[in-house]
Amino acid sequence: MTATVDAVAPVGPVPPAPSAVRRRPFGERALPYLLLAPAVLALLVMLGWPALQVVLISFRKLDLGELVRGEVVWTGFDNYAEVLADPEFWSITLRTVLFTAGCVAGTVLAGLGIAVLMRHIGPKVRIVLQIALVLAWAVPILAATTVFQWIFDQQYGILNKTLVLLGFESFAGHSWFSTGASTLVVIGLLIVWQAVPFIAFTLYAGLLAVPRDLYEAAGMDGASGTQTFRAVTWPSIAPLVTMSTFLSVLWDFKVFAQVWAIREGGPDGGSTTLPVLQYLKGIASSHFGVAAAVAVVMTLVLVVFTAQYLRMLLRSGREEL
Amino acid sequence: MALLATGCGGGTAAGSGELTVWLMNGSAPTSLTDELHKEFEDKHPGVKVKYEIQQWTGIQDKLTTALAGNQPPDVVELGNTQNPKFAKERVLTDLTADASELAGSQWLEGLKQSGAWQGKQYGVPFYAANRSVIYRKDLFDKAGIKEPTSRAEWLEAIRKLKAANASDPEFQPLYLAGQNWYSLLSFIWDEGGDIAKQEGEKFTATLETAQVKSALEFYKQLVEVSGTKAPKDADEQKPEQAGVYGQGKVGMIIGLPWEVDTAAKTDPSIKAKSAAFPIPSKNAGTNAPVFQGGSNLAIPAGSKNAALAKDYLKLMTSAKYQSQLAKSGMVPGTSKDTGELEASPFGAAMAKGSRNGRAVPASPKWGTVEEGQNPLKDMLTAYLTGAKDATKATADAAAKLNGLLG
Repeated sequence: MTATVDAVAPVGPVPPAPSAVRRRPFGERALPYLLLAPAVLALLVMLGWPALQVVLISFRKLDLGELVRGEVVWTGFDNYAEVLADPEFWSITLRTVLFTAGCVAGTVLAGLGIAVLMRHIGPKVRIVLQIALVLAWAVPILAATTVFQWIFDQQYGILNKTLVLLGFESFAGHSWFSTGASTLVVIGLLIVWQAVPFIAFTLYAGLLAVPRDLYEAAGMDGASGTQTFRAVTWPSIAPLVTMSTFLSVLWDFKVFAQVWAIREGGPDGGSTTLPVLQYLKGIASSHFGVAAAVAVVMTLVLVVFTAQYLRMLLRSGREEL
Repeated sequence: MALLATGCGGGTAAGSGELTVWLMNGSAPTSLTDELHKEFEDKHPGVKVKYEIQQWTGIQDKLTTALAGNQPPDVVELGNTQNPKFAKERVLTDLTADASELAGSQWLEGLKQSGAWQGKQYGVPFYAANRSVIYRKDLFDKAGIKEPTSRAEWLEAIRKLKAANASDPEFQPLYLAGQNWYSLLSFIWDEGGDIAKQEGEKFTATLETAQVKSALEFYKQLVEVSGTKAPKDADEQKPEQAGVYGQGKVGMIIGLPWEVDTAAKTDPSIKAKSAAFPIPSKNAGTNAPVFQGGSNLAIPAGSKNAALAKDYLKLMTSAKYQSQLAKSGMVPGTSKDTGELEASPFGAAMAKGSRNGRAVPASPKWGTVEEGQNPLKDMLTAYLTGAKDATKATADAAAKLNGLLG
């Protein structure tokens, strides 16, 4: 997958300026497109076809029986009606949006903070910090989830024990998973912890591109730390921050493994997010059509929330080409 | 993988001499299958048994693919809670008429129910296991406690054990996770209640009854009297209760016999110090009914060798092989003879309990309850933490259960 995507990127700018095209023979004109074809085809087969299938399945009744017998039963918008009429769906959607917003804000702010920090500390401390970040990033998702579960364990968790040692006696035997909100905060921390390294490195790379003399000039003009950040740092990394935010929204909106592994969307459904709902409808209950409808609605919600960025992306794409 | 396996079967079945058997990992011991397959092949010259051991993880999807395919295996093992789902889809062979040849009179009731759909039998009991109370015999002896035979005695034993070990603040006479819903099932059935009733194809939750509320109350009593430190919002696997038991600070757990072996990984000496008794009933001298987990055997409807497969089932359900299953620590599904099982104290307790074995509602949608968000677990947590009272907790759980099964 990654290889395919990478292959496309360098080819992108290749098509020459229109004026040059007119003078070239057909074969030469077709060449860039022929070179693009395998990648486009691969993308269509691997991404386009499954996506189309999901949309089609969302208009079908596809339970275990239909799947086993290979029947195709079209039901129009029944699945959507069922999903959208469920009041729980709307509270889950709201919860998912808030949860995503929290995770993204936490990730980008922490990542930005660490990136700026890395720019200003000595090389030795920076290397230690970078190694720590890479290690945090390298921990497999479920391994990290298990560790977090241990940390927050009611009886044996190191967090409660530490808090008690620090004098907060009321945390002895405190359950971090007794309400949906508290559970989601723990999951959010886990997700932020896992996502920060990538964002921090990306933004740090952006910061490296800011010439040192700009900071010197700002220093000579007597700018304070905040002023320097606003006038020098921010303008040069703003596009990167936007991109990181956009990517984080995409990633955090569809997080499933961590949410499910911590409390299976509990207690009492209190930490159920849209991806968990999709699992419950699809895999657990074998209502694959309904699950597909949830998937399509999820995509629409994502599009609504990222429309602004998509517009910017499309516009800047036109300008650069 | 499933396609591959069945594909291979198709390639060589031309000689008509191959029987593909899928059993699950950890079910029948190798010594049993080796002997059985030799006997089967001797009886059917020219037929070879193609024996494939399957993993539980992902088996539902694999079975779905395989049973829907053109070349399904000839004999499959199904978890008893999965059986109704497949029976309803008509992808299994109706074995109602063959029951007598398959030791039908000896079948375990709990498993038999799970293999039946609309009065027809699609699954034959294979083996089962159920929970009993695993306890520290050495600690019981030291405190002068005998195996309790009623709920009242059980609570009394917990109190005494707690008092006898009062010097150790970390000691828990009973470790009981808040969401051990299999134990709750026992208490509900013991009260004479149930979680759902069936009318035709429809299942309706019966959680809003006095019986279920009494069962919840007893559960709470166990938690409070024992002062268990187990989380109220997690089941017995989080953390694994056998591991906690193995640390030696726990007097009793409600568990499956092999959990003692898991505990022995932490402390090898603990098995010798442990024994087990059936879950006590509120009526002195009897045992509480228990949830019977286990497996059935079935013949996929698409099997090309159904006659051979039936012969295979005949052997597997015979007393000879069932006693070998019992010896390996399982409750045999088609034999009431549990002599081999009773050789170990854990097996003996399980065998006693198994006579009163029950099943979860045989709804094809039951898998949804176990694989998704189990309302019974949420009910327990809400009630034990005081978030909801019994009336509200049972009403909410009933509504959810109806939504899942309806």
